[in-house]
Amino acid sequence: MSAEPILTTRDLAKRYGRRTWALAGIDLDVPEGGVTALVGPNAAGKSTLIKTWVGFERPTRGRVTVAGIDPWKDRSAALAHLGYVAQSPSLYDALTVDEHLDLASQLRPGFDRAYARQRLDELGIPAGQSAKSLSGGQQAQVALALALGTRAEVLLLDEPLASLDPLARREFLHVVTDAVRSGGQTALLSSHIVTDVEQACDRLVVLGVGRVLLDDTVAHALATHAISADGSGRSDRVGEFADPAGSRVTLVQQAAESTAESRVEGGTLRPATLEEVVLGYLASSRAPAASAA
Amino acid sequence: MTAVGRWLNLSYRLQRWEVLAAVTGTILLLGVSLWWSRELHTLTDAYPRCRGLAVGAAECEPFYLQFQGIAKWGQLALHASWAAPFGMGLVLGVPLVSREIEHGTAAMAWTLSSSREQWLGTRVAFAVLLLIVLLAGIAAVSELLASALSPAQQLASDFTWYGQRGPLIVARGLAALALGAGVGAVIGRALPGLLLAGFASALLFTAISLGMDRWNGSEAVALPYGVETEPGVLQLGRQVVLSNGDVVGDAYLASLENILIDGDGSVYARFDPATGLPDRSSLVGRYRQLVLPGASYPEIIARESAVAVGSALLLLVGTIGIVRRRRPSP
Repeated sequence: MSAEPILTTRDLAKRYGRRTWALAGIDLDVPEGGVTALVGPNAAGKSTLIKTWVGFERPTRGRVTVAGIDPWKDRSAALAHLGYVAQSPSLYDALTVDEHLDLASQLRPGFDRAYARQRLDELGIPAGQSAKSLSGGQQAQVALALALGTRAEVLLLDEPLASLDPLARREFLHVVTDAVRSGGQTALLSSHIVTDVEQACDRLVVLGVGRVLLDDTVAHALATHAISADGSGRSDRVGEFADPAGSRVTLVQQAAESTAESRVEGGTLRPATLEEVVLGYLASSRAPAASAA
Repeated sequence: MTAVGRWLNLSYRLQRWEVLAAVTGTILLLGVSLWWSRELHTLTDAYPRCRGLAVGAAECEPFYLQFQGIAKWGQLALHASWAAPFGMGLVLGVPLVSREIEHGTAAMAWTLSSSREQWLGTRVAFAVLLLIVLLAGIAAVSELLASALSPAQQLASDFTWYGQRGPLIVARGLAALALGAGVGAVIGRALPGLLLAGFASALLFTAISLGMDRWNGSEAVALPYGVETEPGVLQLGRQVVLSNGDVVGDAYLASLENILIDGDGSVYARFDPATGLPDRSSLVGRYRQLVLPGASYPEIIARESAVAVGSALLLLVGTIGIVRRRRPSP
């Protein structure tokens, strides 16, 4: 995996209307290769961030690049590096799966129709079936196959899992990770469901109300965070939230070597799950960003 | 299947209902127009001496009656030929962008395409091609029907049935399509887009019509009021030559109180109470009629067609600008 960032933002801010800041000054580098999860609650700005890279949204302030190209200044050049799957991907009701591949071949020079078709064949999605009659999971797979067929270096996947059942989600993520690992691509997958992306991602970006709260590899994030049953007053405290039983727990940040389950001064620590890491950081940032200034 | 074949197939599948509606409407209109044209020709051929519609000649009376009976249906078909470019242009044009936005497919299409301009070009090209083919058919058949309705006139140099026949039908269709695509791109919803585009097209074509009247008016021939004009001239309106030589329009007279116009087009300001006739000493000016001779028809029709096609090109450029900047969601 190269350390060279293929997606960047610098002081990226996006305002809707006069007061609503969806993004409030984000600096982010997504390195080339692997799968990065972009996690955050609804209205955290995940879709807005992805849409600025695709060139659908113009930054109010700051700059974004795709492979060094500003998508708002040269959208075509930026899109040549991107494959995109929208939130609730919509296909053409009137077209069959195969006709979607025809359409992509027509619109995108160099579209790898055979590769996209192979991906769909492996999933048993019939080429002659109309898109309208496919299940939600199959439609998402067709949208993903279209993005993969572009053979773009970067896949931007904007909450494609949100409307899928668990089996379809798992299948979708399997295709993404398989494609990325075999093709050396970079994928950025946004979701508000951490458990969905835990197995698939190498890297985690937690976005909370327009700001980056955590940007780390999954392995390092897990190694450097722990859960304390009584974290009040701790200097390494990140955030406090309720566990499934209703008890308050605290996410704490630790040096990597001290996060094995251990007893330290101030209470019992146990390793944090990725979901707890995310919850801890989201809890640390409850105040909405009223202004990007 | 070749690349062109795939493009045609996909374009058709993406606009199937509009295409079917346009093709069906065209076939019906062509069929009806050809039918009434044939009926009129058959009748005219049966009364060769009455070709000039000599009303009053006893031997032509049956011909005249039958001709009028058929002609009213033929005229309806010509009215439909006049409306076809607006209807078909809007029906094919509005959904091009708006439906993609409304159904959420624009995000996929715009990121798959190498550019939005290329995507729009692919979509518009099919609609334009289809529209040209269909409207060219209507334009040609409407010429046949018009000549059957006016058998004594040489319609190649004649303004009769202006706008209901010939190339202007195609040109207007292209302008309507481009306008529809642009409005659809702004609105992002097909049905509201269609309603708004209908309103916008009424404004656009009224503006073009008024502009053309002004342009053509500068080349019009002024004839004294009441002089019977040749058949096939284009009546552009009236004007008044005031006693001091100034030329004014109808609006000037409307601003005066108690004007009187006599049979030869003289305009007076008051009555002579003694005679009950206009007071000759109060002459304001004289009406005259503005006409374009039939010989100007080819030039005028080419001119208005060029204006419509030019408008279409400008509107398409505007649509490209909208699509380039627009979000892919409503």
